[in-house]
Amino acid sequence: MISFLEVLERATTGPMMSAKEYDMKVFIPAVREVVKKYKIRFDPDNPCPSDDDIADRVYQAGLELYSKVGTYCTDTERIIHFTKDEIEQAVYECPKVVYFGEGPDRVEWHGRMPDDNTLPHCHVGSGTNTTEDVALRMVEAYGRITKGKTVSIPSLTTVGTLSASSGSPMEILAGINMMRIAREGLRRAGRPGMAIIDLHPSCASGIGTVASSNPEFGARKSDGWIVAPQAEMKITYDSLNQVAYLSSWGANIGQEAGPILGGYAGGPEGAAVVTLAYAFHGILVVRATYHLTFPIQMMSVCSTTPGMIFLISTSSQAFARNIGAPYYALGYAAAGPATKQYFYEAAAYLLAIQSSGIGIEDVHPNRAVGTNQALPIDSEFTCAFGHGNVGITRKKANSIIKKLQEKYLSHIKDPPKGRDLYECYDTETMSPDDELRRLYDEVVKELGDYGIALR
Amino acid sequence: MEDKQFFGKLSQAVIKGDSEGLVQLVRGAVDKVGPLAMVEEGMAPGMTEVGNKFSEGEVYLPELLMAAEAWEEAMKILRPRLVAVGADIEKQGTVVIGTVQTDIHEIGKTIVANLLTPAGFDVYDVGCDASATKFLDKAEEVGADIIAASAIMSTTVPYQRDIIDLLVSKGLRDKYMVMIGGGVVTQEWADKIGADGYGELASDAVKVAKKLVARKKGA
Repeated sequence: MISFLEVLERATTGPMMSAKEYDMKVFIPAVREVVKKYKIRFDPDNPCPSDDDIADRVYQAGLELYSKVGTYCTDTERIIHFTKDEIEQAVYECPKVVYFGEGPDRVEWHGRMPDDNTLPHCHVGSGTNTTEDVALRMVEAYGRITKGKTVSIPSLTTVGTLSASSGSPMEILAGINMMRIAREGLRRAGRPGMAIIDLHPSCASGIGTVASSNPEFGARKSDGWIVAPQAEMKITYDSLNQVAYLSSWGANIGQEAGPILGGYAGGPEGAAVVTLAYAFHGILVVRATYHLTFPIQMMSVCSTTPGMIFLISTSSQAFARNIGAPYYALGYAAAGPATKQYFYEAAAYLLAIQSSGIGIEDVHPNRAVGTNQALPIDSEFTCAFGHGNVGITRKKANSIIKKLQEKYLSHIKDPPKGRDLYECYDTETMSPDDELRRLYDEVVKELGDYGIALR
Repeated sequence: MEDKQFFGKLSQAVIKGDSEGLVQLVRGAVDKVGPLAMVEEGMAPGMTEVGNKFSEGEVYLPELLMAAEAWEEAMKILRPRLVAVGADIEKQGTVVIGTVQTDIHEIGKTIVANLLTPAGFDVYDVGCDASATKFLDKAEEVGADIIAASAIMSTTVPYQRDIIDLLVSKGLRDKYMVMIGGGVVTQEWADKIGADGYGELASDAVKVAKKLVARKKGA
């Protein structure tokens, strides 16, 4: 595989142009061209296709796209280009298994295949905004869900009474505080070695990564450290600084991308291809050993519309069949927490990704906006779903997704707000109130009637 | 009738994002057809259609940007002629837009800028990672009605408040309407910091901006 130093050299010697020129003259035309060439078509009646051929065409389209557009470095205003051969070689050589955590909490994560009859990697937790007073108990609650193999920790937006503004010392302190809190929470849950793999939601900058990675604060290289691009297919020196540091440390690096349906990638077809192409960016530029994607739809800002389900299904299948590295997807529900619609949307998304051959994570309620919106019951649901539906096929998933969409699609624009953590949980014991427990039981029964088992 | 057909062609060229075709049409007609009519009866309806389709999710950002680019290329020819004949396109107001300090997400504000322009606003984009001072300096320079600030991350939204704090500290709070938006921004946050307008989605921006200008003029 091309070395990281070679990547950096290309970042300083590649073709120069403005970001706007890259978007308009390179990226957009290339996406349109490969979508047309590889005949990628979105069929709203078939949101989770079970045709391997379309998955492989998305892969080929993504490969060709990335060989044309590369990654644009915003600081040097240059394109980091790779040939098709270089990309394919990198895919061949990239790790297909990743190890997270320590001691008895250490886990091994392999890639899966579509229609796979193995248990998906179940990842729990949320990196969304959480108040300091409840963050410790939230992490402890996540840690207690033993079916969850790795965890995301919350984002703190304050340090005492101060806002943890980006780029400020408060952000660094928030990151360090959350690191300490999270490790303590996992100790209290009896899982001191459990890996935190969304580092670091409280301080996503390069300096934040370095600051919070001090083992004194509980950080480990066996955790997972995420490096994000800018939409679409752009990277900053700050992110490359993270890669320089993390790869030198020998830490697990995750590439995280949130491609936008309706953005520069265009519609569901283009966005599917771009989502897949981020894998190549991840392997080569970010030096990732695991991959997280969280595509969103620009106008609805959620992940559960038919176009979004098509996007995540086809790109996940393309990844699973042709790359096979650890990969998981995060979805955003339009509905707020503790609502039936949230669980319908979450089930539709989980059906798509589990049957398409990748790992699963909690779908975040309320478009991941607001504070204290993620609930531990979301994680329980994710794990029960993963365990209850081992071996579910894309064909079956597709048919259930369509039925679920009949229940929620008309409410996507004006979804129920739901109740936040303080409104539906006893935050001392971290247990749901009777109303939420009843609602959950009803949802379990309803989903059971559709053929979804929760175990 | 001929004019109607010609305006239809202008409109279609905008909708298709066909810069070359639009420029050719405009150049070919510039001595025969009034520049204001070309803009208002030809190009503007096309741009409005693209904006509406974008808001409805029927077309996407590439189509919006290509239409905006075509519009801008044609305006390079038409603007001097509009000035020469003393014609004025009906202006809704002037907006200074950008993404706040330390935030380098540009898509949201780019969309809003591209929706506001054809809706009749003069838009000045201060880019990403823009400090409160940068917003204000530009607003003072161009005589803006509205300062529009986007923030995508929970750690960058506090910088939206900085813009309002700066206006207050300079005694300029009443001079500008402030509208905010971005992935994690909520109405609750807008109320908390005293912003004048908030749009949940980029497509809300035109409505919000028009309302704010009306409020400002009424005040």
